[in-house]
Amino acid sequence: MLGYLARRLAMTVPTLLLVAIGVFTLVRLIPGDPVQVMLGDAADPAQIAQMRAQLGLDQPIPLQFVHWLARLLTGDFGHSITDNLAVLPLILERFQVSAVIVLVAVGLAACVAVPAGLIAAWRQNSALDLAVVGSATLLLSIPSFWLGLLLLLLFGLKLKWLPVIGYVPFSENFWQAMVFMLLPIATLTMIEIGVLTRMARAASIEVLRLEYVTHARAKGVPEWLVLGRHVLPNAFAPTWTLIGLVLGHLLGGIAVIETVFTLPGLGRLLVDSIFARDYPVVQGCLLFTAVIYVVVNLIVDLCYPLFDPRVTVA
Amino acid sequence: MHARRPSDLVVVGLALACLFVMPVRAAAETVLRTRLNADIRSTDPGTNRDANTDGVVAHLVEGLVAFREDTSVGPMLAESWSVSNEGKTYTFRLRQGVKFHNGATMTAEDVVWSLKRWLDPATQWRCLSEFGPSGIARIEKIEAADPQTVAVTLDQPTALFLPTLARPDCGQTAVIHRDSVGPDGKWIAPIGTGPFKLGEWKRGQHIDVIRFDGYASRSEPRSGYAGAKTAEVDRVRFNVIPDSSAAKAGLLSGSLDVISALGVPDLDDLKSRPEVQISVTPALGLTGILFQTRDPLLKDVRIRRAIALCLDTAEIADVVMQGTARANNSALPIGSPFYGEVQTHGYTQNIAEAKKLLVEAGYRGQPIKMIANKRYGFVFDSAVLVQAMAQGLGVNIEIEVLDWATQLDRYNRGDYQAMAFVYSARLDASLSFEMLMGPKATQPRKIWDNPEAQEMLRQSMMTDDTAKRQALFDEMHRRFIKDVPMIVLFNGAELAALRKNVKGYAGWLYPQPRFWGVSVQ
Amino acid sequence: MRVRTNTAIGGVLMALVLGAAATAAFWTPFDPLRVNLRARLQPPSSLYWLGTDEFGRDVLSRVMAGAATSVVVALLTVTLAIGFGVMVGVVTGYLRGWTDRIIMAINDALLAFPGILLALAIMIVVGANKFGLVLALGLAYIPSVARVVRGTVLSIREKEYIEASRVIGNSELYSMLRHVLPNAVAPVAVLATSMFGWVLLAESALSFLGLGVPPPAPTWGNMLAASRPYMESAVWLGMAPGLCIALTLLGINLLGDSLRDRLDPRMAHG
Repeated sequence: MLGYLARRLAMTVPTLLLVAIGVFTLVRLIPGDPVQVMLGDAADPAQIAQMRAQLGLDQPIPLQFVHWLARLLTGDFGHSITDNLAVLPLILERFQVSAVIVLVAVGLAACVAVPAGLIAAWRQNSALDLAVVGSATLLLSIPSFWLGLLLLLLFGLKLKWLPVIGYVPFSENFWQAMVFMLLPIATLTMIEIGVLTRMARAASIEVLRLEYVTHARAKGVPEWLVLGRHVLPNAFAPTWTLIGLVLGHLLGGIAVIETVFTLPGLGRLLVDSIFARDYPVVQGCLLFTAVIYVVVNLIVDLCYPLFDPRVTVA
Repeated sequence: MHARRPSDLVVVGLALACLFVMPVRAAAETVLRTRLNADIRSTDPGTNRDANTDGVVAHLVEGLVAFREDTSVGPMLAESWSVSNEGKTYTFRLRQGVKFHNGATMTAEDVVWSLKRWLDPATQWRCLSEFGPSGIARIEKIEAADPQTVAVTLDQPTALFLPTLARPDCGQTAVIHRDSVGPDGKWIAPIGTGPFKLGEWKRGQHIDVIRFDGYASRSEPRSGYAGAKTAEVDRVRFNVIPDSSAAKAGLLSGSLDVISALGVPDLDDLKSRPEVQISVTPALGLTGILFQTRDPLLKDVRIRRAIALCLDTAEIADVVMQGTARANNSALPIGSPFYGEVQTHGYTQNIAEAKKLLVEAGYRGQPIKMIANKRYGFVFDSAVLVQAMAQGLGVNIEIEVLDWATQLDRYNRGDYQAMAFVYSARLDASLSFEMLMGPKATQPRKIWDNPEAQEMLRQSMMTDDTAKRQALFDEMHRRFIKDVPMIVLFNGAELAALRKNVKGYAGWLYPQPRFWGVSVQ
Repeated sequence: MRVRTNTAIGGVLMALVLGAAATAAFWTPFDPLRVNLRARLQPPSSLYWLGTDEFGRDVLSRVMAGAATSVVVALLTVTLAIGFGVMVGVVTGYLRGWTDRIIMAINDALLAFPGILLALAIMIVVGANKFGLVLALGLAYIPSVARVVRGTVLSIREKEYIEASRVIGNSELYSMLRHVLPNAVAPVAVLATSMFGWVLLAESALSFLGLGVPPPAPTWGNMLAASRPYMESAVWLGMAPGLCIALTLLGINLLGDSLRDRLDPRMAHG
């Protein structure tokens, strides 16, 4: 097991290295200059050149890459060009916000989606099934930011039940923080319910069809036991894999939700820094996201055998 | 189960009510909550900054002089000054009894120390290049003749020395206490003389400025960044809210008191709300269509002129800015003291003439690429309208939308055919021309390359004589209209939305809000 | 029964969309780009069925033109992703060895990026236009297609009919293609429908963030983004494109479902 873990980890290294090179190159290919953006239209070339020299942006690109990589390996992600903050602590702080939203939303969605998908699969092709699938499909067809805006309009403005702007970190005040997070989490949850219900249903259908289920039924095991003891745990496994994939990709889509609800999350940090051409932050964010994705997939892979004893890790 | 006695319920109800009421009562502090569309860069005035940073920092620090409402320069920390030595030496008499945020009294030593710090290249002061080889003049000497007098000697006379000292984007050449930096020279926090001092700064979320009780206010009425500045609230909180719809929602729901840089599209909706008041002030920025006069197609002035003549600039300004801005074809903003009768003559719409010019120039319908961006809604909207109006003439304009950073890059390199662009405010008429003019060979970002006009510009910067400068600006304007290096459309407006209970707020020409003299009832 | 309902509803929705897109190619009620400052922000009426926007342009015409653009962009992206994805998948599955490892490493590296962010970065590099959008979004999906195809290739490789085919004398490559491609069609087709939907959503998200096909040319995404300041005062501006995106996606997903059910008969029956 440990050997497998070590090997899997080792395999991620070349991937991550490629990601680092890709990120660095991509960012440098983008036209525009962080210094120009900072100094604005009133800056003259002398000022721009002076600042670029100060930031080390005038060195040859391969050299800049080597410096960046070297510092990366010591855990130093560099400093933001716009406000000189250390990148890694900044990313971690922002990541907390995004992680809370994503994890809670996916968790809540899974609680609703897995049973719903199971029931739909159990009564496949019935009116109930149609209703469940129809609703799920509808939910995932709505653009997330549109849904967010509509919810904000409804609950924030028209009904005035929830605050419209603001953010309080959990470390400060848990309940207050939850109030601000309620709408964004709700938005994401609704969409993910759509996505996960369909996946859970597909997985459940697969399992229901399997021999040991028909066998159990033939033995006369009560239906609810069949569902609860045999189908649910086994349907959960592939859903779990897909949850892993979804989690990784959610980090990208969450940028729009963070923009609508003005939350200081990782997605927005990345988008803002791309527009500001803040190279160190962009590189740091992209690299960090890639690492998270790889780690999540690794965890998912390793947990798989917990759900399906037929699968061995090696 | 016995019935509950009503008094039990009353007690419980009261207790619950107290829980809700008490937190509100406990804080009697008056807070004004406003919005920034992005976090500030740093608190070091005029160094690592952008527009938002300047706006916040202006509440904390002050310089020797400051801009008045009409863009003239007035006294702030200096009581008065005299110019001698053929215009090269400025002797400032300082005000007495001005306190820093840490309680120390301001003396000439502090002024000298601050000036020297700004002139140190390590500080990265934005206006440093103004005092370098390509600037307005070199500073030869700074000395404190006595604790209340500072003398600065330049190497040549210039009309722009005081305006440069007053520039908000250079931190107004703030006088700060030396404890603002640490023993190693690293910046800590601004210890200035302003009506507010720095409070809590939560990166990415908000920055607070707190009333400074020891503030020594001037006596003249508030005017621009000059005059009296009394803090009427205990605290101003600048919330970082990048999304304007979220900000608007915040204002309507009562979690914000002021939105200072209101976008035009939100105007209609907010105007009709009973709990909101709108403040409109003409702005000094400049929105227009730039042409690259070196472009093979657009180097023909007839084509440029034809486009200028087909536009109904008044309609564009009216639609894009929803009636808050007036059309203006002059390089000088309407708010400038040098904007006079001459400057009102621009391009009068004349489709027949425009068509004639196109035929003369032999335009055969070649596409013209005009760059625009979505970051500034009014810039984009102007581009769309210009395109539509030019279409009526048969001119084929294609809009290419780039993100702001890319467009800035293309602007700085002069790499475009046409672009819809917005210039930030320039507080002096010479600077308004200077931002557009220059030799393209060495300054590719400049729009207008005209050696005669260039010479006139140089003269306008040297002399202090208002009549002479006006004559120069008038002549430059005439040539500007004739050459059509660009089409200036309008100067825009500063819009602010405030809740009805906010009193004393007034916008002014410079696009940054002032929260002194503002109270929340 | 379910398959038929899905196909029916999905089919109707998609027919509407494709119909609107096709019609827009040669006719719309008004010119979608024509500015009419005297008719700004009109609510839906008998003249302007879906109202007008902030420049007085007819929303219905823009929605139709937007359908055309969105559909074309989505189709091009899917074609690009499938074309290259299949190539990469077949090549790596066939060659194995070091080529496979290296290409798959790059593939996984690309997969590690959230699609939208990768697309955002690429679009800034290439420029915000249809070409850039197709390239950016296609690139984001190629790795997924490649993985699926490679998986199919690997599972087919060892099958008996490949052996048989080779024994007959066909080249290995020919055998592979002849047997792999038909088997790959099913999962790739399903992937294609979900990709189509994702591209629509991604384009609207990118427009919302400030990129995507730039205005004034209408796409549903940039219409939705532009409607934000008018969400309360001119509701129809946001509703029209928002509903279009939602309904089109619904149609796509339903059709995709029925496609999957048809291709995988096990799924269709309980």
